[in-house]
Amino acid sequence: MKQRRHVGALASLDGGPLHADVAGLAASLAAGRLDRRSFLRHAAWLGTAIPLGACGKVAPPSNDTLRFVCAIQQIGDPALSAWVEASNLFRNSLEFLTEVDAENIVRPGLAESWRPSDDLKTWVFTLRPGVRWSNGDALEVADIAYNFRRWLAPASKSVNRTAFAAIERFEALDDRRFALHLSRPVCSLAEQLYSATCPILHRDFDRLGGNWPANPIGTGPFRLTRFEVGREARFERREDYWGPAPRLKYIDYIDLGPDVSTHVAALAAGQVDVLYRITIAELDLVRSLPQARLLQHKAAWTLCIRMKVDTKPFDDIRVRRAVQLAADNAQMLQLAYRGMGEVADDHHVAPFQPDFGALPRQGRDVAKARALLAEAGHPDGIDLELTLGNTIGRWEQDTAQILQQNLADAGIRVSLKVLPPTEYWSVWNKVPFGLTSWAHRPLGIMTLDLAYRSGSTWNESGFADPAFDALLDRAMAIVDPHERAPVMAELEARLRDAAVMVQPYWPEKFTAVSPRVRGHELHPSDYFRMDKVWLA
Amino acid sequence: MRVAAWLGRRIGLLLLTMLAVSFLVHLALEVNVDAVAVKVLGQFSTPDQRAAWLRENGYDAPFLLRYLRWLGHFASGDWGRSTYYQEDIVKLILPRLAASALLAGAALLVMVPLSLALGIASGVRAGSLTDRGVSLFAILTTSVPDFAMAAFLTAIFVLGLGWLPGVSTMAGGFSLRELVLPVMVLVLASTGYLARMTRASMIEVMGQPYIRTALLKGASPSRIVFRHALRNALLTPVTVIMLQIPWILSGVIIVEVFFAYRGFGTLLYQAALNSDVYLVEACAMISVVAVVASQLLADIAYAALDPRLRGK
Repeated sequence: MKQRRHVGALASLDGGPLHADVAGLAASLAAGRLDRRSFLRHAAWLGTAIPLGACGKVAPPSNDTLRFVCAIQQIGDPALSAWVEASNLFRNSLEFLTEVDAENIVRPGLAESWRPSDDLKTWVFTLRPGVRWSNGDALEVADIAYNFRRWLAPASKSVNRTAFAAIERFEALDDRRFALHLSRPVCSLAEQLYSATCPILHRDFDRLGGNWPANPIGTGPFRLTRFEVGREARFERREDYWGPAPRLKYIDYIDLGPDVSTHVAALAAGQVDVLYRITIAELDLVRSLPQARLLQHKAAWTLCIRMKVDTKPFDDIRVRRAVQLAADNAQMLQLAYRGMGEVADDHHVAPFQPDFGALPRQGRDVAKARALLAEAGHPDGIDLELTLGNTIGRWEQDTAQILQQNLADAGIRVSLKVLPPTEYWSVWNKVPFGLTSWAHRPLGIMTLDLAYRSGSTWNESGFADPAFDALLDRAMAIVDPHERAPVMAELEARLRDAAVMVQPYWPEKFTAVSPRVRGHELHPSDYFRMDKVWLA
Repeated sequence: MRVAAWLGRRIGLLLLTMLAVSFLVHLALEVNVDAVAVKVLGQFSTPDQRAAWLRENGYDAPFLLRYLRWLGHFASGDWGRSTYYQEDIVKLILPRLAASALLAGAALLVMVPLSLALGIASGVRAGSLTDRGVSLFAILTTSVPDFAMAAFLTAIFVLGLGWLPGVSTMAGGFSLRELVLPVMVLVLASTGYLARMTRASMIEVMGQPYIRTALLKGASPSRIVFRHALRNALLTPVTVIMLQIPWILSGVIIVEVFFAYRGFGTLLYQAALNSDVYLVEACAMISVVAVVASQLLADIAYAALDPRLRGK
């Protein structure tokens, strides 16, 4: 009953009537098929205003400087940014049309409201009034049009070109409103606009040289005042910011190199306040340090040990199936990550993602793996080379070593080729057999769309299945996660049966901060908002 | 005249070494030009973009021509631009070199007097308790590799006692406290070895007949050590110290990376990790100069210490 009352109190962001599908979601909620958070998430997609939770104690603006350990990567054009770390820098100065909070609920960003049509193919956005760029210009629909144009241009190198392939046309309606016309329904459009590659740039970005750090114009709460790749970056509070003033005066990002134990030493000595991330290897150390507070959370990030389906010997599905069947996902989690996470099922959708479709788990079957190999013409086993780069930690290699032992049981002899982290990214989508780390996405369908749709920029396995693509389109048109789940299950099964990868587990995420740090919310995508952080 | 000829020959050799090294580095890093374009344009660049970039940057020319072009630029002081740091290499490298020179200089400043003192003290009376103690210390510290030493010292002084800073970025300007741990690692890694060398040399000299003569004519022990023995005993340690300079250069890489010290070592490390071709090339040249120049200095110091070599 309490839930029903809650729904009755909802309104849409633009004050108009609620979207037609909200009623259906409410019915699912009332019937208990949907939990409250899931209901709020999906209602938010459709432009429903979601009340903010009660706020804790908030400190007034101070003159404090926060020191954040983070790799300082080349930014150049933020729409091309392949690094979440880089986006965490420009997120202080650049804003997005929408914002996804740590609870995975879409909130208004530069757009104060959005309204999808009933068929989810036309989306009207209204910009927040009074937003000013740091150079004094007002934010206009022309800015937004400019961004969509460069994302979607045929020569665009941005991953946004494929992520928003459904957008056919941008239409400016008046000086504050614009419409996006889609070729097919996409229910999660508002959420996708908060992807790391979607910050809104000033309309003169390309004219000013197309290098953001050189001309760091933004609408955000901080201004970039220093930027040195591989060294440090400094952001300073904008006193003329349109929104609530941030508490910190400065944020100093410091690049301490790739070794996390160095980062922990810096935290222990009080030289820095926030670490970007620690790995399972530093967990015990951080727990024992009084100068460090451990933060830990669950996210849908993972390792994909994927095979390129168009390269020998992986062009034979029996070889890929054999690899998948011989792998012991639970053992990899247990031994390489000390069991801190959830076992996965080789289809890259996490059970805790809201659109997960339940599927009977695929068990390990070494005998069958052997038989398949023999059938594929490798009765004496096969030699494979797995390339990896420890891009997010040594545990990638630990996992690969367990896999190596698992596969040996089936006569698959794997040699590991370990590259330096930076080297791996120049071959990640080229090597026949590679271990790639994938960042969290709020929805399983987003990952599937990015990584497994035929011809998608980030499709590293070369998987191409028109039936899978069609199912993706269908799933994207269904708002109610309860109704979407069966379609998702079908997608997951199709992907798993194609055996393009071993995706062993969903590791937990850890980081450490100084006990003085307040308000640093771990975002599952690692999209940090520093304007709400302060030092006690 | 003879000195000038000798010096000329050494400098000629230095230039030849630089030439050979630069050619090899070029060969290693640039032979696969497509990889260079991937490093610069990123993993999501298209083959067309890469081809265009390669053309614009003169990569369509044959390898040898490209090498000669680079050589010409390098000789005229144009060292190019770092693709990773996005900065002019000369501007990038100079402060880094100064920082590493500071670190290495501080390490030498502590290491040399310390190891000589320890070596002399134990060499004067071989087999004494002091000698045994110094030997134990020397063997212990030399057998721990510097990366392990860095981790041990951090565990003790940063994580355990909390006395010293854990990283040495010198972000807020020069800080002596931040210099302590890196210097300590470098000193501990080399002192033992150097002390052992000094000790051996000292023992040998102390066994010479002229020391016995000095003893018999009634010279005081301090006069014997400082006046008669030391100068001869120093020949070996001086060579070793000079040979340590190139070693410090490589040791510095490990120590700098561990403590996130922004010197030449981290620069070379990042450049290599990110295939920053021109930066690696420039760093290699500087390393060659450092190695050869330190050998040159060793020869000069040797000649100054041993009059017998002067006439030759």
